[in-house]
Amino acid sequence: MKKLSLFIISAFAALTACEDKIDLDVAPGKSYPVLDAWITNEAGPQTIKFTMSVPFTNNNPAPIIDDATIILYDLTNGKSYPFAFKQNAYSYDATNSPIGIVGHAYKLHVKYKGEIFEAYDTIKRVPPVDSITLKFKTKEESLSGKEGYYATMHAKDIEGGAVDYYWIRSYRTDTTRRLEDAFSIDGSYDEGVSDGATFILPIAESITDYDKPFQQNEKVIVKLRSLTRRSHDFLTQVDNQVNAGGLFAKVLENVKSNVDNTTPSGQTRILGWFGTSAVGRAEKLVK
Amino acid sequence: MLMTLLVLALAMGPTRAQQQRYTVSGYVKDKQNGESLVGISIGKPGTAVGTVTNQYGFFSLTLPAGEHELQFSYMGYAPVKTTVSLYSNKTLDIRLESSSSQLNEVTVNGQKQERAVNTLNTSINRLDIAQMKKMPAFMGEVDVLRSIQTLPGVTTVGEGSSGFNVRGGNSDENLILLDEAPVYNSSHMLGFFSVFNPDAVKSLNLIKGGFPAEYGGRTSSVLDIRMKDGNNQNFNINGGIGNIFSRLSVEGPLVKDRSSFIVAARRSYIDILMKPFVKGDMKDTKLNFYDLTAKANYKFDKNNTLFLSGYFGRDKFGLGKDVDMNWGNATATLRWNHVFTNRLFMNLTTYYSKYDYSLNFSNGSKKQQDEQLQGYKWTSNIINYGLKPSFTYYLNTNNILHFGVQGIYYTFRPGTGIGTEGEKERVKELTDKHALESAVYIDHEWKPSKKFGIQYGGRLSAYQLLGKGTAYYFNDTTPGIRRTLVGSKEYGANELIKGYYYFEPRLSARYAFNDQNAVKVAYSRTTQFMHQLSNTASPTPLDIWTPSTNNIEPSLSDQYTIGYFYNSPNDSYEFSAEAFYKTTDHQLDYIDNANLQLNQLIEADLLPSQTRAYGLELYAKKDIGRTTGWISYTLSRSERKTPGISLNEWFLNRYDRTHNINLVLTHTFTKRTSLSANWVYASGTPGTYADNRLQFQDWDIPYNSTEKRNNYRLPAFHRLDLSFTLKGKQLKRWKGEWVFSLYNVYARRNAYSIYFKQNEDDPNKREAVRLSIIGSIIPGITYNFKF
Repeated sequence: MKKLSLFIISAFAALTACEDKIDLDVAPGKSYPVLDAWITNEAGPQTIKFTMSVPFTNNNPAPIIDDATIILYDLTNGKSYPFAFKQNAYSYDATNSPIGIVGHAYKLHVKYKGEIFEAYDTIKRVPPVDSITLKFKTKEESLSGKEGYYATMHAKDIEGGAVDYYWIRSYRTDTTRRLEDAFSIDGSYDEGVSDGATFILPIAESITDYDKPFQQNEKVIVKLRSLTRRSHDFLTQVDNQVNAGGLFAKVLENVKSNVDNTTPSGQTRILGWFGTSAVGRAEKLVK
Repeated sequence: MLMTLLVLALAMGPTRAQQQRYTVSGYVKDKQNGESLVGISIGKPGTAVGTVTNQYGFFSLTLPAGEHELQFSYMGYAPVKTTVSLYSNKTLDIRLESSSSQLNEVTVNGQKQERAVNTLNTSINRLDIAQMKKMPAFMGEVDVLRSIQTLPGVTTVGEGSSGFNVRGGNSDENLILLDEAPVYNSSHMLGFFSVFNPDAVKSLNLIKGGFPAEYGGRTSSVLDIRMKDGNNQNFNINGGIGNIFSRLSVEGPLVKDRSSFIVAARRSYIDILMKPFVKGDMKDTKLNFYDLTAKANYKFDKNNTLFLSGYFGRDKFGLGKDVDMNWGNATATLRWNHVFTNRLFMNLTTYYSKYDYSLNFSNGSKKQQDEQLQGYKWTSNIINYGLKPSFTYYLNTNNILHFGVQGIYYTFRPGTGIGTEGEKERVKELTDKHALESAVYIDHEWKPSKKFGIQYGGRLSAYQLLGKGTAYYFNDTTPGIRRTLVGSKEYGANELIKGYYYFEPRLSARYAFNDQNAVKVAYSRTTQFMHQLSNTASPTPLDIWTPSTNNIEPSLSDQYTIGYFYNSPNDSYEFSAEAFYKTTDHQLDYIDNANLQLNQLIEADLLPSQTRAYGLELYAKKDIGRTTGWISYTLSRSERKTPGISLNEWFLNRYDRTHNINLVLTHTFTKRTSLSANWVYASGTPGTYADNRLQFQDWDIPYNSTEKRNNYRLPAFHRLDLSFTLKGKQLKRWKGEWVFSLYNVYARRNAYSIYFKQNEDDPNKREAVRLSIIGSIIPGITYNFKF
């Protein structure tokens, strides 16, 4: 809420503000292994990426770690899923039977350089995305001055029970690249004010890139994912760090990791996160 | 030690007063408009005897029986000499006439002007509105906060940042007083303009160290802004039309010589000017601010005057009909000046101050018929009530006692969130917090000789967090991560939850080698019980204030200052050099990813830190002649140490600036034309740079593997501003002037922050980006008038 408000308020400072790409001389830092593991209840291949961090402005793809052993454990039903390395990532084919089950707890087990690492998360409930609606706006009508289709996601928070945390990610036409991300607690920005409510407008309307609204024949895809509170905290911290511009930017802080080295006197540190979600998905073709 | 000194000084008073002594007292005012004049020197030419008028224009001087020639003098005013036959106590009200031409050098004999070399206190800068008006202004508008930023020891984190930093202190450590009522948010339009309407401001004092015992509650500085009383001789209308906003003020007598008023208003109108050009979703966009400042006074008799002043201002921001955000301050002050005897002066102040904001989103106007009304509202406020009787007792020519009592009652409403859907409304309300801050103080100003003077005293401060409320208890954990709740306790209304009590010694001393040279030392301890929670690059209008609790200890600061002051024999030049060293305990810091909004357990996310700052400030000023102005240079360092942050090592504060130079010059060509220039140079503020990126879920997350905060410095900040003033021909009553200004003359893109992101067009490219809040030259035109 506050972030959105500040974003809007500081937008008018853009009347005079400007951004320039600059070259900085930053001393090379220490490179860390980074685990990118997000397991869902979707059918299809489930993928885990394991790379080394690189200097920020280095535009080469991050070096891939291919010699780790990764196994996912469902702690609720005792099943285990080995992830095998192929084509740049570790994957498990869940085409026939999805891995994720709502309410189940999971442990990710990683063996890397002779040390053992573990991370935990739980799959929470998620409501369906009921629909996506589109509104065509001319240059004059739209806030950003860009002509195109602006999408709204319609969904309703699940009433009662524990507080629900969500991650909304949208895509254009296919899911190879993220478009926009938004985060929500019970359909709004704060707990205690929207249990069971329809997702509030600023969140529902956040799935369009206002600088490049959707055009004819493009597909709007939205995934609504459930999160644990810890994963929500982590992702909102990531969101603050990757969108750090503007008058009221958060200062740079290092994102947390939930990947613990469980080897006694283990030396290696792994950054990144292991998260699990149930997914509600919707799409709409612009025509 | 304090008591001994006091007793000694008091004992010396009467013994020396064998001869019969009488007191002359009264008020000094401006002849043309009846404004009381502050800091006027009253002296006996050829002797060291003298005093100055206080904040209300009152003076009291006790002299041996006999004939005395007294001179009243002040920069910009023709001095007045008068002879008093003092065979009984006397009241003497004096009116000074401002000198017709400021171009002529006014040479004053006898008692010196109130120059830094003569005063006891160190680290005080006084500016009156005439000086502020001479400086080049942003978009042609005189601005109180921008003018103090040219003084040594004062910096900001950048353009467009609210607040200012004094001697390496955080911006929430400044006590900003408008007619003695605290102001919690001093800026309009996110820091581009301050909330103080220059048409209603008389003068300001910025106290950076060596605090008199009267002031407390903040650890860094006191900015004491005084409003005009209003012309009690004639009606005047002042105004200005500029490209951002317009001003209008009316002042005049209610009863001539006895009562006057001033009402001043401003409103910005970017949104109205923009209106014809916006359509669609941008229609109904609101972007404006306004403020209203008013004051009235009534003089009942020579011993009783009543002042009532108030401020109300608001910033509004709205997008279409569905987003509405606004915030602002309101203050009200009632003061009673009472002269008990001609040696005992009292000012009784009561005040009210409120800051609040409200954010509102709804789908009201866009809603389809089959959709439900949906809305979200968030509000927060802080309210306080204060009572402040203060006394000045003029014992004799060498001794003055200042003493008094202060009480402030606070109510904090940290946040209420209301979600609406159709008929349904869900409310989340953080519990209110209440606190009482009280103090008793005494200060003894003792000038045993012309060369030596000392002001010493102390302040007993008490802070009490009161019910109704809940005290939370948290576990001790690794510093830097959120603490978990282990217990809580409920308290009833007005029950004491937690109290803190402090003794704050204060001391300032001066030794003058001669009329030109003096050295001063000062020490002061200060405490602060209110903290603004802000973990962004600069404070935002939505950052709430929170009181000290059982988990948040009040901050406690010690400052040592030493200074050398020089005043040229003809008063045309002043120079000062001051060094300071300051430490503060229990400053607030934040864990990574702290949640500062609508969080009942906010204390679990706060960390105590320790800060230190030191520096050297040089200041040279020329007051007389066609070219006037000043240059200030500050060399300083401001650091902090917080367990859990930056490897527990000392790191630079976000507002640290190693070098800071300010040059302010005004050249008067003719009576009608003048040119002002302002050049500022400051070392870049520290920043944390990313040396790594983590590829995660299509994001590139910036990461700093050194874990050291503020390990780099942004490029240096510098900027030149110019303004040219053309005064219109003097008509019968109408006085007009054009002010043409250029801000950021050489269009430098000063870095406000540097951050790391993926290229918007090609996410496979990563870049470091410099954000400049003002990226070009900004012209401004204002027409000011007076009749």
